[in-house]
Amino acid sequence: MSTALKRYGLGVLAIAVSVVVFIIPLLFMVLTAVKDRKEAAKLDFAWPTNFQFVENFTAVLSARKFMLVTAFINSTILTVASVTILVILAAMVAWVLQRRKSRWNGVANFLILSGLIIPPAIVPTIWVLQSMGLFKTLPGLILIEVAFGLSFCVMLFRAFIASIPKELDEAAVIDGCGPVRLFFRVIFPLLRSVIITVIVVQSVHIFNDFQNPLYFLPGDANATVQLTLFNFQSQFTTNYNLLFMNILLITVPPFIMYLFFNRQIVAGMTAGAVKG
Amino acid sequence: MAAKSKQRWAALAGGVTVLALALTGCSGGNSNSGGDAKTITWLVDNAENTVAAAEKVAEEFTAANPGIKVEVETRPQGGDGDNIVKTRLSTGDMADVFNYNTGSLLQQINPEENLQPITNETYLSNVTDSFKPVVTSGSEVYGVPFSTGMAGAVLYNKKVYEKLGLSVPKTWDEFMDNSRKIKDAGIAPIIQSYQTTWTSQLFVLGDFANVVTADPSFPADYTANKAKYATNAAAVKGFEHLEEAGKAGLFNEDFASTTYQQAQDMLVNGEGAQYPILSFALNNIKVTYPDKLNDLGLFPLPGDDASKNKLTVWMPGGTYIPKSSKNMEEAKKLQAFIASKAGCDAQTAAVGAAGPYLVKDCELPSDVPDAVKDMLPYFEDQAKNSPALEFLSPVKGPALEQITVEVGSGIRSAKDGAALYDEDVKKQAKQLNLPGWN
Repeated sequence: MSTALKRYGLGVLAIAVSVVVFIIPLLFMVLTAVKDRKEAAKLDFAWPTNFQFVENFTAVLSARKFMLVTAFINSTILTVASVTILVILAAMVAWVLQRRKSRWNGVANFLILSGLIIPPAIVPTIWVLQSMGLFKTLPGLILIEVAFGLSFCVMLFRAFIASIPKELDEAAVIDGCGPVRLFFRVIFPLLRSVIITVIVVQSVHIFNDFQNPLYFLPGDANATVQLTLFNFQSQFTTNYNLLFMNILLITVPPFIMYLFFNRQIVAGMTAGAVKG
Repeated sequence: MAAKSKQRWAALAGGVTVLALALTGCSGGNSNSGGDAKTITWLVDNAENTVAAAEKVAEEFTAANPGIKVEVETRPQGGDGDNIVKTRLSTGDMADVFNYNTGSLLQQINPEENLQPITNETYLSNVTDSFKPVVTSGSEVYGVPFSTGMAGAVLYNKKVYEKLGLSVPKTWDEFMDNSRKIKDAGIAPIIQSYQTTWTSQLFVLGDFANVVTADPSFPADYTANKAKYATNAAAVKGFEHLEEAGKAGLFNEDFASTTYQQAQDMLVNGEGAQYPILSFALNNIKVTYPDKLNDLGLFPLPGDDASKNKLTVWMPGGTYIPKSSKNMEEAKKLQAFIASKAGCDAQTAAVGAAGPYLVKDCELPSDVPDAVKDMLPYFEDQAKNSPALEFLSPVKGPALEQITVEVGSGIRSAKDGAALYDEDVKKQAKQLNLPGWN
């Protein structure tokens, strides 16, 4: 008995904890999303008496002239573009900083650190964007997300590149490799595990970002998914069933992505853990 | 495998470069698509009722002015909303017309610098005189009222009152008597919802009509740093009443963790009898519990004297034009439409009326909720209502809701709470550079 308890006790406990932490909130979300407005307003953990999945679904989708559809398109472009630029740019910066020692290294490191420490100021950033004609445009917001994420990613990449032997570079150079080719053909593929880490962390962060789109990309045509939550929630009135349906809908795409890329993500992370 | 994956990476890198180029090429410029019709933008807050009303007004406005289209944009409420409005004003990027609070909050967006004065426009004569002061800064008027007047009062369940044979209290003592009887019947007498902190302020803010009755010079003295909540006998009553009701155990059992939403549920289902709240709540009750809306009535927070029973009213938000608007003519036309009978009718058609309009000639439909009907006599007689303090004085501290939660929960005494609030408002008064505070 006691050996069985020892063997399975911890596992059972872990399962119980993950049910409480992950499954119950998800269940609550799904249940509330299919209730009618009056039942949802109670915010309790009860079985809905009146299932309204289709009504709620269409109400959420068609709210404010199908804003959610626009928002999905915008968020997808924003996330994919920002993360790709981030990955390539950060890897390049990190590689140069790590491999080429010069007196500018100190300055560059200082700037990267300040990017992590100094909080972004909204109004001056908008002035800069306005003067470049990028304010209220998706490319403008992409650049902002890249700028805010760059410091963190550069530091991740640098730490990893330090563990790649310099001899690899030298061998490639002796074989006649130019710098661009050296980076994309030799170094970049080696960074796979960090790249996956960066993609996962930054995709979640940018997809879930609320503050930056709110300030830098105003207007209904420019909405991102997180901003659509405000269609159903306000100070004095909140439409809980539609709010939760909306949450459900915008949680689904990352969820599906995870199901598909689950293996690659876990493999990448653990590979990084062993090497790093 | 290795060679293949290298190729894949190279392809990916190339693809990204192309994508980046394509993206910089297409900047989502959709503003210049208009043909003959001119399009103006209108920024409103995201409350369900505001959006529905604004869209209806926009539609009717375009029907009346075929050359002008109105695009309604939304923004969040609360702190984020304030930041959006301030950011967009200071970057010159505000919509052509926008809705914002009146009274002390309007002063914070610096109307003289940012907003278009409309003092000399003819449509301003449609606006009732009681509204004009709350959209005035210096000598200029800036906005027209959108939506209806509201009250900070007690919503009560009429069925509970009927069952227990109670009558509407006119004084604080009657109110306490009623509450004790309700408690004896096993129903929560006074609902408090401290999970949603702002709802805790009503005992203090909603009591203001009684303060002004007792001391008419209080708002002016308060602005000039001469009167204080803690030392003014009339003003401190709000805090004292809150403390008294809390100590007498008249709140619902789990008042500390009840939310605004749950409180409404308790009220309409008769689990609680009285809820001091802004009458904004009626909007939410109307859409969530339509069949129970007329079970509710409303009375002002009672003071000491039954003959001076007054209602504390909240002015609706205003509609303003920023100086940066490039479509000034069209924006003014929209303002004029909002301040006309047609504008009120459009709002009523969209969301009904939760209080009286502050535009002359506007009529309320006959099917307004009972609680609104209870409110009307107070609005009609100027002597029976007073605007809340935030419309009479720019001094308003940010921490009142935390302080009233403490007082109501019995953590802090009324006197202490009032003194702490007096400290709290100092920062804001100094920021506004009011005379007498530095």
